[in-house]
Amino acid sequence: MSQRPDPIREGLKRGWKVSGGSLGPAPERLFCDVAIVGSGAGAGISAELLARAGLKVVMIEEGPLKSSTDFNQKESEAYPQLYQESAARKTEDKAINILQGRCVGGSTTVNWTSSFRTPDATLAFWRDRFGLTDYSSEALGPYFLQAETRLNILPWLTAPNENNDLLRRGAAKLGIPAAAIARNVKGCWNLGSCGMGCPTNAKQSMLVTTIPAALDLGAQLLTEMRADKFEIANGKISALHCRPVMPNGALAHLGTAQTATKIVAKHYVLAGGAINSPALLLRSQAPDPHALLGTRTFLHPVVMSSAVFEQPVHAWSGAPQTIYTDHFLDTQAIDGPIGYKLEAPPLHPVIFASTVPGFGQSQKDLLQSFPNNHTLLALLRDGFHDESRGGKVKLRSDGSPALDYPLTDYVMDGARRALLSMMEIQFAAGARQVLPLHEMAQPYTTWGQARDAVSVLPMKPRLTKFVSAHVMGGCALGGDEKLGVIRPDGVHWQLENLSVHDGSIFPTSIGANPQLSIYGTVNRIAQDLVKRLTGRELVLA
Amino acid sequence: MKRRSLLRLGVASAVVLAVAGGTAALLQSGLNQGRLGPAGREVFRAVGRAILDASLPTDPAARGVALDGLLDRVDDLAAALPPHAQDELSQLLSVLASVPGRRVMAGLSEGWALASEISIQQALQGMRLSRLALRQQAYAALHDITAAAYFSDESTWVQLGYPGAPAI
Repeated sequence: MSQRPDPIREGLKRGWKVSGGSLGPAPERLFCDVAIVGSGAGAGISAELLARAGLKVVMIEEGPLKSSTDFNQKESEAYPQLYQESAARKTEDKAINILQGRCVGGSTTVNWTSSFRTPDATLAFWRDRFGLTDYSSEALGPYFLQAETRLNILPWLTAPNENNDLLRRGAAKLGIPAAAIARNVKGCWNLGSCGMGCPTNAKQSMLVTTIPAALDLGAQLLTEMRADKFEIANGKISALHCRPVMPNGALAHLGTAQTATKIVAKHYVLAGGAINSPALLLRSQAPDPHALLGTRTFLHPVVMSSAVFEQPVHAWSGAPQTIYTDHFLDTQAIDGPIGYKLEAPPLHPVIFASTVPGFGQSQKDLLQSFPNNHTLLALLRDGFHDESRGGKVKLRSDGSPALDYPLTDYVMDGARRALLSMMEIQFAAGARQVLPLHEMAQPYTTWGQARDAVSVLPMKPRLTKFVSAHVMGGCALGGDEKLGVIRPDGVHWQLENLSVHDGSIFPTSIGANPQLSIYGTVNRIAQDLVKRLTGRELVLA
Repeated sequence: MKRRSLLRLGVASAVVLAVAGGTAALLQSGLNQGRLGPAGREVFRAVGRAILDASLPTDPAARGVALDGLLDRVDDLAAALPPHAQDELSQLLSVLASVPGRRVMAGLSEGWALASEISIQQALQGMRLSRLALRQQAYAALHDITAAAYFSDESTWVQLGYPGAPAI
């Protein structure tokens, strides 16, 4: 258990209005100016701005409130507590495992701090194809800058750990440019445990920045509470119905200790994250005249290559993901064959052991390579081609969301090229053996052997291992109502008192880790909302 | 098991159920109230023996203790899953624990408790590379849950050469 100061527990002592779990039940009725669904990247930025404008804000979060005292760097506790579906959320065909936060702070509490502005090429595509004429690097620049200032997003000047330096060195040998990744940290201890919640509060997540700021201004936070359904009448939302949930996400039995909550607000901000935000609108039977809701949900599908080096790598130790290369994004047209970004993820026992393929002796040999193991990942930039239309959010019979995401031949072609690129870099960095994560692959000891083998591997769902930590789209921005679910200012095209402020608003994937894209775009639309509701002009920093 | 959730099992398991000659009443639930039932424990104990064969202690008593620990951790892991995932896991374990389900879905002729590690590994390999999505999905669930649960406990980390998280 962390012995460091805990700003959340201190805030609770000061009288923050937080309910849920051990903090007691929420009231049955609540009235406020703005109800915000979620507490992640988009919700946090919105909450701070709206609360600073003097508005009465209520936030509704399905996950628990956990903080640095709870963050003990153990996967066995972090995954069930802090992640959607215990870190085992999957696409409908079980071909892609999705890591997505479910706790106060959302994915920002558990992400690896990688911070990139939305690439120019992505914004140009949005202007061209989705009528988002005011989405340019110039127009968004001030909003990114404010977010960077507020969250201390700066170049990471500490030397990369060996895990990341292998990417730098391997790429350099092949003449591939690689660069350092900016991070949202302040006084980072370089522990490497970001994915389990930062135990030192160095990570400038929503949990320790905007959410406390909003709570200090009197905002109210309902935790362990599912936003179940909007009540809709006459083109407006008239109420939000919420239900308390158990730690595993099951609805709690209502009784004296647990009651449903009805929230009536003047305006509603939906920021439950991609997958969950469209699911809430689907459950609410929100108007969707052009059948766009839940469609074009993107994942940056990730494939991985696992290498073993002579020297220790200790991929669990030190800041994660501090080096990247966009060489395989920048060297081809955005709407051509799918491009990919390469990064070096941290490894911890549970993630590593469940990712090591196979069983018996071959599994044991790979498991024992853990200290010398270096894995690269490729984020495939989906959503920029007719054969990359992403997935569709649907509802199960119990109202929970399911994502149908077909891995098309177009995506699979990129997956094969990405595996080849990563293996070549790993051999160039001096790998003794390289294993692309595919059920039919073997560890290969030379680049030639690896190249020949991977060139003929069947690239099929489930044989090729895919994961995702970036869920985007499903409530896309569009310059007219045929192109998107929400207007360029974040307001729903058909529901005038509903805005969507999270990663679900992106009409394609980002082509970079999305947290700063969410902070920047939401910062702008939340400032617009503040102005419309109060007449005040506020900036984030 | 509810009829509605049975329908979600899909064609392959419908075949399994038809072979089973029967109705849901003949199958034991894999999970009861989100915890491993006897059927679930039997399957995971056998799958654990096979998947972790080389990683488990060789001494029979120590091996038994390690497998007990695995089952406790699988139990915790299952309890933390949301209801729809618990339903699916329960159905999977239920089908695998039935004789026809074990034969058709896993391709294993002997009972789980008596089958050798090698026989179970061969069955797992058949599922892993099967053309049927349902068998591949079953393999992935058994593999990932077993490996994640076993190596979530610090008693196993010495085998990984992992020193544990730094003290702060």
